[in-house]
Amino acid sequence: MTLGDMISTALSNLGRRKVRTILTSIGVIVGILTIVTMVSLGIGVRIEINKQFAQIGLERVFVSPREGERNFFTQFAAPERTNPILPEDVERWRQLPNVREVVADVDLPLGVASALKIGAQTQQIAISGEDSVLGQTPFSTPPTALAGTIDVPDESGKIVLTAGALEDLDINPDQFAGLVGQPVEIVLQAPRGETQTFSFTVVGVSSEEIPTARVPLADRAAMKGWWFNRPDILATDGYDSVTIRATTIAAANELVPQIRNEGFRVQSLELILDLADQVFTVINVMLSSVGGLALLVASLGIVNTMIMSIYERTREIGTLKAIGASRGDIRLMFMIEAGMIGLMGGVIGIISGWGLGLLLNRVILWYIEREQLPVRGDFFVVTPTLALVSLLFATLIGVIAGLYPANRAARLDPLVALRHE
Amino acid sequence: MQEDRSLIRARSLARRYTMGKEAVMALNGVDLDIQRGEFVALVGPSGSGKSTLLNLIGGLDRPSSGEIWVEDLELGQASDKRLVRYRRDRIGFIFQSFNLLPTRSAVENVEVPLMLAGQNRKARRERALDLLGRVGLGKRAGHKPSELSGGEMQRVAIARSLANSPALLLADEPTGNLDSKTGKDILNMLGELLRTQGLTMVLVTHDMNVASHADRVVHLLDGKIQRIETAAERNGYRAETATAEAIR
Repeated sequence: MTLGDMISTALSNLGRRKVRTILTSIGVIVGILTIVTMVSLGIGVRIEINKQFAQIGLERVFVSPREGERNFFTQFAAPERTNPILPEDVERWRQLPNVREVVADVDLPLGVASALKIGAQTQQIAISGEDSVLGQTPFSTPPTALAGTIDVPDESGKIVLTAGALEDLDINPDQFAGLVGQPVEIVLQAPRGETQTFSFTVVGVSSEEIPTARVPLADRAAMKGWWFNRPDILATDGYDSVTIRATTIAAANELVPQIRNEGFRVQSLELILDLADQVFTVINVMLSSVGGLALLVASLGIVNTMIMSIYERTREIGTLKAIGASRGDIRLMFMIEAGMIGLMGGVIGIISGWGLGLLLNRVILWYIEREQLPVRGDFFVVTPTLALVSLLFATLIGVIAGLYPANRAARLDPLVALRHE
Repeated sequence: MQEDRSLIRARSLARRYTMGKEAVMALNGVDLDIQRGEFVALVGPSGSGKSTLLNLIGGLDRPSSGEIWVEDLELGQASDKRLVRYRRDRIGFIFQSFNLLPTRSAVENVEVPLMLAGQNRKARRERALDLLGRVGLGKRAGHKPSELSGGEMQRVAIARSLANSPALLLADEPTGNLDSKTGKDILNMLGELLRTQGLTMVLVTHDMNVASHADRVVHLLDGKIQRIETAAERNGYRAETATAEAIR
């Protein structure tokens, strides 16, 4: 008996009990629908996250100094650096092949009280460097220049102010342009009351709302040095963080272990992405288990249907055996029949899962537009691989469920089967 | 194989069943030779072992002891695989209740043995239509069994039994579910087929009118052959009874 004959026989046999066949495959439909929906959500969200991370730049490597462990007495003090990032390290990294850019950063301690002084007016303000990569979330809109430039120059003594800082000083947006080139002062105050004034020239105003002054690295180092009363702080404590931008993602991945071997703490977006991937895999598996449970119940339904159908067709099986069907023929015939129930449920399940995904994508899009969230894209994505794998899985479930009934049919004694009423 | 050897040779054939704790001898030492082209009827009361003998010849059952040869094949010792092929290619079964597949049309039913033998669609459709024509059902090929009369269903079953050109037909009460006129038609058709195709047939019946069509009638009782009547003897017997009736 050829495979084509087997399949057409199975189809015609399923066709004679249409309602029962459909009811049986509903279990498979529900299971596959659940799995397809859950996994397509996982795939969609992962694609979306990958896209957002890629915008930030996967080719960046973040280096921070290794710090000593704190004990009871030092737990509130600044951690001691066992391996600081010194200017010579940064210079060495700049010379590495495949490195496009190295940006070192110095953070001022949280307790530093700083104020912006324009003319006679002063205003509390935060000091920062250039907009760091991590400071930009996928959901924030990038700042624009309202006047001058918002790129902080390397040259010491230049400053970029935010619109938020100026508004607090009652300076109107139409005055921003006139501010460029003007001198301003930043006043640091130590808890003991000592103050130190640093002079700057305004080079631009950015659109950000948070009152911030962006100053070059050298000035921040000087501020920090004054705060800790250690003018050579860069040479002893080094930088607080360094972002290395490699030419490619692969080059970034090579840099990670290399710099880690030098004794620094190294992170890359790839590593964070891997972690996110793992988390999503776990969530996916958990959600899919619900579908798996539905499939388990569905497979019992298939077993039941097949046993019933074999019982009804006992005489036919006897006849087929008498006129020359082998055990293998009978077994394969019923296994194909059970597999068909699974396959049918799988096809319908995938199509409805895909449709449900499209519908949910629409709903999410509508919600995003209403809330004006800065994300776009599909959250439910059915890939061809997902469709194919679920189809095979559904068929496999059917075939496995058919194993026992088919063997029962194959083992029937033709004489007994022919006497069956 | 020698020319004069018989097609079927049974040697001290026995079949024992256990019903609960009791052993029942359905066949108890049967020796029988059936020649090529012969039409043999097995008769006897129920439980005489006639169906058991037919099933043993058909390879649906295996003997408890003794041997049953069909051509060069000893069915008792043959592997399951050989038996399946034997049933498919060398014998044709005709049942009392026809046993057609209800969802398939007449022509599709005739195709089943060809399908089991792995023939392609076109060839087996041609062959099936030809066979249906030969049993006089050419115009009813597309009908389902439920749309056919008993006689027509048995004709379809006969066409099916001939599909793989077997040498041997085995019929178990083929007219048991038919009225006497239809039964006679079926028997005449079978007789015609045997003559024109040179087929051998073993037929089980309890109806002496049916058995009277056979070349030889084997009477079984309690699993043993009681006597074997040839057509010639029976004709003599019939003549005697006819005379007796005439006298009366």
